[in-house]
Amino acid sequence: MPTILDIRHVSKFFGGLAANSDVSFSVEQGMIMGLIGPNGAGKTTLFNCITGFYPPSRGDVLFKGVRTNGLQPNQMCHLGMVRTWQKVRPLAKMSVLDNVMVGALARTTRLEVAREVATAQLEVVRLAHKAGAIAGGLPIGERKKLEVARALATRPALLLLDEVMGGLNPAESEEIIQLILELKRSGLTQMVIEHDMKAIMRISDRIVVLNSGEKLAEGEPQQIVNDKAVVAAYLGEEVA
Amino acid sequence: MNRRPPPVLRPRGVAALELVLFAAAVIALWCVPVFVKKPYVLHMGVILFLAVIQGQAWNVVGGYAGQYSVGHAAYFGVGAYTTMMLLELHHIAPWWGLGAAIANGVLLSLIIGTITFRLRGPYFVLASISMAEILRYAFLYYKDLTRGAEGFLLSEIPTLHLFGQEFEFVTKRPFYFVTLGLAAITIVANHLVQHSKLGYYFQAIREDQDAASSLGIGLTLYKSVALAISAAFTALSGGIYAMFVKFIAPDLVFGIDVSVQFVLICIIGGIGTIYGPVIGAMVLVPLSEVLRNPRGLVQVGLASPDSSFVQFVEAHLSNAHLLVYGVLVVVVILFAPDGVLGLLRRAGARLRRRREAQGEAGAAGA
Repeated sequence: MPTILDIRHVSKFFGGLAANSDVSFSVEQGMIMGLIGPNGAGKTTLFNCITGFYPPSRGDVLFKGVRTNGLQPNQMCHLGMVRTWQKVRPLAKMSVLDNVMVGALARTTRLEVAREVATAQLEVVRLAHKAGAIAGGLPIGERKKLEVARALATRPALLLLDEVMGGLNPAESEEIIQLILELKRSGLTQMVIEHDMKAIMRISDRIVVLNSGEKLAEGEPQQIVNDKAVVAAYLGEEVA
Repeated sequence: MNRRPPPVLRPRGVAALELVLFAAAVIALWCVPVFVKKPYVLHMGVILFLAVIQGQAWNVVGGYAGQYSVGHAAYFGVGAYTTMMLLELHHIAPWWGLGAAIANGVLLSLIIGTITFRLRGPYFVLASISMAEILRYAFLYYKDLTRGAEGFLLSEIPTLHLFGQEFEFVTKRPFYFVTLGLAAITIVANHLVQHSKLGYYFQAIREDQDAASSLGIGLTLYKSVALAISAAFTALSGGIYAMFVKFIAPDLVFGIDVSVQFVLICIIGGIGTIYGPVIGAMVLVPLSEVLRNPRGLVQVGLASPDSSFVQFVEAHLSNAHLLVYGVLVVVVILFAPDGVLGLLRRAGARLRRRREAQGEAGAAGA
């Protein structure tokens, strides 16, 4: 499979603090890449560097073979990369359908077309029955689905999910897992930050582990579970 | 799945009814000068329609795009000075001058937008205020160009020859028709913006800039478009205002109270709605006119010359209209945070619920 995202020696400094230092890995088309690490490991910062919210301090991000450092998030979206937010960001005063239409409008100027795309996308995440509701009033589980629907409506080639299962109950998490797997079957490449180890092991084809901003390990889920350094980072040196 | 509520698009019947009501209101207002000859009434009409234009204009960038500019006097003043100076210094008729006013307003909006749209929230508000203040001081200071605080007094508006007819801008009547027509156009324009990709993008920016950006919305581009539309209409209203009141000076057209008034029209009526600015103008204009000149009430026969209300207002409030604005804002924010329109909507919803409850009770009783 060809590489869709190539992260080469990316570092991000805030003042003297290295939130990411010299992180390199690549994501192949059609796969699900898991990104894990303890709190403060630099996962979200890396997402921000990839999606254009921060320019990397050093290193390069290549998307579909093109160097994208310095591009803005809206340009990344038009190139086919979109992210969801750990802390959900619904367009609170707009309806659920309007939220998704905003995403769909990235690929069309016609409202009717956007409305069709958005309606279809809401069916995919099973939120169609809430189309007319005001987004700010949804419970957390549905807000997370809305984030995904809105992102999908931009017709991405790469979807970055930042803790999309955080704060959900087991039934809701399972629904999201099924959704992610369904999207994978349809050919969408995904990169997933997740704290729920069981879930991430189930869905990921490969996993990258970050710790204190550095890449600690990379491999298939089975390799990661048995990696001594990873276990140490999560549970402390003695256990390992 | 089957019982999906009808989203966004309202039933066609409602849209048609709205159109009919809107057209009827415009036609009715168009006929007013036939029956009412009192200049004061027509004067109020012009000021009201100008306020509608200004409110609608601010609404595009403040209401939909959520960028609370409190410096729109910049575009108003530039529109007023452009039209006035072209006429007085170069003898260019105002119908051309208004075009130049719009062009200058848009140009200025691009410059101000480039500077201020880097900032968010309160910082943007402060920057927008300072832009208008800079212009006010510049127009006061560069006397050779602008005549400073002395301002410009309009000598005469030339006669307009159009379709073989002559239009004289001497009385208030022609201004009444021009401003009414333009107010109607602004409302239609606002409606079109709201029901387009632009409207969706403006609202997305208002709700969450980072989310909007991640969904492919170029923040600076779309904010600039919103500001340019807004500035165009504001500058237009400034040019007409200059021709109508026949005197402008920096403090009159660039003052912060001018900027605040534009915002207030929307806050009072309902921010981000199509009819909010109309309602806001209908509340604010009569109020401020009465406070400024309570004798107007006597002129239209609403009060007798020795009425105690007129005397009280004249003695205590006629120079305090800004104070009354302040109190009004506090009252609106406390009791009607979504403006008069929001208040009406909530009252309507409450009424409907009560009726439904009664209907259910009646059904249960039977």
